[in-house]
Amino acid sequence: MIHAFIFLLAFAGFAALLMAMSRHQQEWLRRKLSPRAGRSLRFSGFAALTIAFQLAGLGLGWAYGTVVWCGWLSAAAALVVAINVNRERLLERFRP
Amino acid sequence: MKDSFRQSMAWLHTWTGLVPGWLLYIIFLFGTVAYFQSEISRWMRPELTPAPVSAKALDAADALLRQRAAGAASWNVTLPDDRRGDPLSVSWMPEGADRSQREKFSLDPATGQEIAVRETSGGFFLYRMHFDLHYMPVYWARYLACIAALSMLVAILSGVVTHKKIFTDFFLLRFGKGQRSWLDAHNVTAVLALPFYLMITYTGLVTLLFTLMPWAITASFGTPGAFFEASSPPPPKLEAAQASGPRLPLSMLVASAERSSEGMKPAFITIRKPGDPTSPVEIWPQTNSLGGERAMIFLDGATGEILHREGGRGGAKATQQVMINLHAGRFSGPMLRWLYFLSGVGGTIMVATGLVLWTVKRRAKLPDPARPHFGFRLVERLNIGFIAGAPAGIACYFLANRLLPLDMAHRSDWEVNLLFIGWGALFVWSIGRPAKQAWVETLTACATLYALVPLVNAATTSHGLVPSLFAGDRVFVTFDLLMLVMAAACAFTARKVLAHQPKAAPRRRAAPTMAEAGA
Repeated sequence: MIHAFIFLLAFAGFAALLMAMSRHQQEWLRRKLSPRAGRSLRFSGFAALTIAFQLAGLGLGWAYGTVVWCGWLSAAAALVVAINVNRERLLERFRP
Repeated sequence: MKDSFRQSMAWLHTWTGLVPGWLLYIIFLFGTVAYFQSEISRWMRPELTPAPVSAKALDAADALLRQRAAGAASWNVTLPDDRRGDPLSVSWMPEGADRSQREKFSLDPATGQEIAVRETSGGFFLYRMHFDLHYMPVYWARYLACIAALSMLVAILSGVVTHKKIFTDFFLLRFGKGQRSWLDAHNVTAVLALPFYLMITYTGLVTLLFTLMPWAITASFGTPGAFFEASSPPPPKLEAAQASGPRLPLSMLVASAERSSEGMKPAFITIRKPGDPTSPVEIWPQTNSLGGERAMIFLDGATGEILHREGGRGGAKATQQVMINLHAGRFSGPMLRWLYFLSGVGGTIMVATGLVLWTVKRRAKLPDPARPHFGFRLVERLNIGFIAGAPAGIACYFLANRLLPLDMAHRSDWEVNLLFIGWGALFVWSIGRPAKQAWVETLTACATLYALVPLVNAATTSHGLVPSLFAGDRVFVTFDLLMLVMAAACAFTARKVLAHQPKAAPRRRAAPTMAEAGA
């Protein structure tokens, strides 16, 4: 259960970090967000990763939790990359 | 001289990555597989009924040793861990015999009955292959592993410098763009699990610390023997008066050891000179925490009292132990083990894409692409032979486990030989074929072999995918499914290579597939 929360937080964090980059905003939204929105996305992205770390440390012990956190970070980032690669296919489905 | 810092780092990255690259690939591949060594052992010993070790079984082991090994030089009992890939096994060395004459019996961990388990090295071989290789002295293999790991560390650090856009390209993976795609795939797999690679390479060097730096010992201790004596003191000798009676049964000794500290679970029990009642009982615990020092305890055989507990061997030793634990991941629960495995898969793909990238980059610049120079052909052939060949070898190992006759002499050795025969055959075959066909054919062979594993398993044991699903046997189900995933990944890659049509200029290769190296 705690693993699911750590993963979801890490995933949300990396998704926010992806959308904070203007190149990816253009690809996903076909427009660029304001610099302010980008900054807040970046901030929330790092905040989510930090909360995930706190959660892992408090829930699983700081030693074990840190190892788990690193593992989920890689897994979550890999999923974000996989989704980003299949962007066109996904967008077609949701945007006629 | 190279004109800029980054260019010289790129040069360093290319060559420290390429030269030991195939060895690194083997180390990554087998190391990744080894995270599941207990589960693999369990699959490779289908006769075994997994269960926690019962007191009854321990007493049966005890009785067996007393009956048949009374005059032995030493008794050894190995207890399966929580992942239950191994039987409860007892072994002893007859007095005056050498290691090859060791007697060994497997017992059912629940009932203590002797069971006939097929002779196999199981997952343990795959784990040993990760750093000891095979068909060569362990000593040399470990030196090679050290050199590979050192180069890897240099390659990682210089790679970070070379790939300057580590953050702006963080999520970037573009398929169908030729060389650019291979570069993306290499970068993405490298960046996503970068902390893991740094950790695993550095801690890997720490596991081979004294192979790499024997001078650390000679500087302070004179001889290696003196160091080991100082770092792990010899067992205490009991006073003759204390040995007041016969040795307690194993079940009581284990219970006493487990009571001695929270979460202590014995892994090995050794009794040296079992005929002498004063010789202490040595118990090695399992590694089940990251920080825990694996402290051996010594029990008084007659009373079950703890005579001595290793420990408090200083900060350096404790640090080394944490690093080794971090590397081997034995402390990890099921979820973390999967994360270790996935990071390992990432590393294997990173090495494989790096090796392929070397050829992709140079193919475009070849003076005559139809007749590349020797170095290019060598790298290309080694890439095919290792990247597709080694996983195929592992599939052969699993198939051999199911197909070799159960009563064959040296059966476990032949399982291992078949790994290398299968791999070698594919390697030799691929040399005689044009590069593209060689990739397609070796990958297809690899896919076929992996697809065969669940089929052969279903045909030769009662643990096929369907019965295991009904029985809820997670290890067997997951193993078979992973074989199918691996088969699908190889087939997908083979199809991609086949469908790829190189354009005249710029030359491009098939879209990279994340599954290239696979599990």
